[in-house]
Amino acid sequence: MTVAVAVTDSAEGIAALASAHAEARLRGSGLLIANLRLHPLDDAEIPRDVETRIVEREPGAEVGDHVLRLLDDHRDEVELLVIGMKRRSPVGKLILGSLTQELLLGADVPVLAVKTP
Amino acid sequence: MAQMTSETHDPPGAEADAPGPHRRRLRMVTVIATFGGLLFGYDTGVINGALPYMAEDLGLTAFTEGLVTSSLLLGAALGAMLGGRLSDRRGRRKNILMLAVLFFVGALACTFAPNTAIMVVARFVLGIAVGGASVTVPTYLAEVSPAERRGRIVTQNELMIVSGQLLAFTFNAGIAAVAGDAADVWRWMLVVATLPAVALWLGMLVMPESPRWLASKDRFADALTVLKQVRTAQRAETEMGEVKQLAMEDKQSQTGGWSDLATPWIRKLVLIGVGIAVIQQITGVNSIMYYGTQILTDAGFDTNSALAANIANGVISVLATFVGIYLLGKVNRRPMLLIGQLGTTSALLLIGVFSLVLPEGEPRAYVILSLTVTFLAFQQGSISPVTWLMLSEIFPLKLRGFGFGLAGLTLWLTNFLVGLTFPIMVAALSISTTFFVFVGLGVLAIAFVAKFVPETRGRSLEVLEQELHARFSNRPERTMA
Repeated sequence: MTVAVAVTDSAEGIAALASAHAEARLRGSGLLIANLRLHPLDDAEIPRDVETRIVEREPGAEVGDHVLRLLDDHRDEVELLVIGMKRRSPVGKLILGSLTQELLLGADVPVLAVKTP
Repeated sequence: MAQMTSETHDPPGAEADAPGPHRRRLRMVTVIATFGGLLFGYDTGVINGALPYMAEDLGLTAFTEGLVTSSLLLGAALGAMLGGRLSDRRGRRKNILMLAVLFFVGALACTFAPNTAIMVVARFVLGIAVGGASVTVPTYLAEVSPAERRGRIVTQNELMIVSGQLLAFTFNAGIAAVAGDAADVWRWMLVVATLPAVALWLGMLVMPESPRWLASKDRFADALTVLKQVRTAQRAETEMGEVKQLAMEDKQSQTGGWSDLATPWIRKLVLIGVGIAVIQQITGVNSIMYYGTQILTDAGFDTNSALAANIANGVISVLATFVGIYLLGKVNRRPMLLIGQLGTTSALLLIGVFSLVLPEGEPRAYVILSLTVTFLAFQQGSISPVTWLMLSEIFPLKLRGFGFGLAGLTLWLTNFLVGLTFPIMVAALSISTTFFVFVGLGVLAIAFVAKFVPETRGRSLEVLEQELHARFSNRPERTMA
């Protein structure tokens, strides 16, 4: 089985990756990383003690769709989705939408939403 | 928009090309596609000399003068957006063929426009062609050219545009000298633009499609056939790998989008890109490129002398662009940009001051002319080429399509606002006050560049990306993988 995690280019993304890593170790499962950044993950960030796969973004796809499609492609093995969340202003949500909200509502697996420490 | 990928780094196997028949073929491709850039310049520049006659013939006010001039730029904003997408979907060649038809139809509609309303619509249509050419022609040229020449294409495009404007200024003066008394002399100025459109269309019929675009559609055999026309047989084979790689990079460049603006450092970077686009236009360069004849008439020339003197503005633009291309290889971007801005802002300040203190007449007219020439030397020799190049260098690969597209749109819209408001401001505030407004904006632009714009010369995209990331995010710098 696998724990999926959405890693954004932010402190919340780092927190989500850490929680997902801990969760994968606890469950003895693999880690499926949806990299939502515009650059690859640093080597030091990639966990070595669990089986890890990284999926980069496809050109032209929205980040939310990217994660939901990943869940769909691996629906037989993903048991949990981990995402980071933070407080957003109403204006910010109006302009850019909310990835957290999209994933909470759109994912068919349990979602663990973590905040920065 | 895909044209700004890979212009700045040399791919492997970029050894000098051997002479042969492919050389002639490549030169033909370059010459034909260049007509697209010339048309861009001619159609934007021709209004400069046509406007005084048109204003009289159609009874234009300051507001409708601004509208006739700037509706083309609004069309160009639309054309730039659609053009990038269409040329990705249907191919560069087909898109340029279609643009040639639009250039022809637009120029003809402008020529025969019976009133202001139809003129505004016709200029808008012509603008769609101008905007489409502004993205498709450089893309096509860059994708057909060998790697060692590709770096120069971005700035060469600028050279074609100013040459087209010079051509327009020259034809304007010539036509006015021959037929200056006729009421419809401005229609003759506009109709000339149909000729290069026909040449572009006929020429593109026998030109090949871009090999990189063919590769992006997995048509590798077709891509190789084209490469063999414009390279030696041996080099065509070795270059196929590079073409495939670049086609893939182009796809990658379309990854980022609006949602990435949620990341603070990317948001700041995109804002800087948009800012660079604004400062290129906010100098008011196009007030001179579109209204130069009127500025010179206002200063004390009669219309025919003003038309002739305006040619100096066109000549200096072409010469300065050559200097700019040379300087880009020698000087850092930031100091070059700042010096250019100091030069244009000072020239504008002097134009405003001398318009106030000197009485109207020939001496004042010559002073103003020498200052518009000085202004254009700094603008076209430094600001314009530097800003275009910076925009092609500043965005990380995966954000390039989005960032460059947004900056390009901003550039056209700022151009539109300057073109629309300049005659209105002159009518309401006087010409000197109008230039003082541009001086104020110029000072703000200098402060913006000094504070926010990073140096992009001589840095690999990876290094630059890291630096920008560290500078604009609160988190410590990423460790290099």
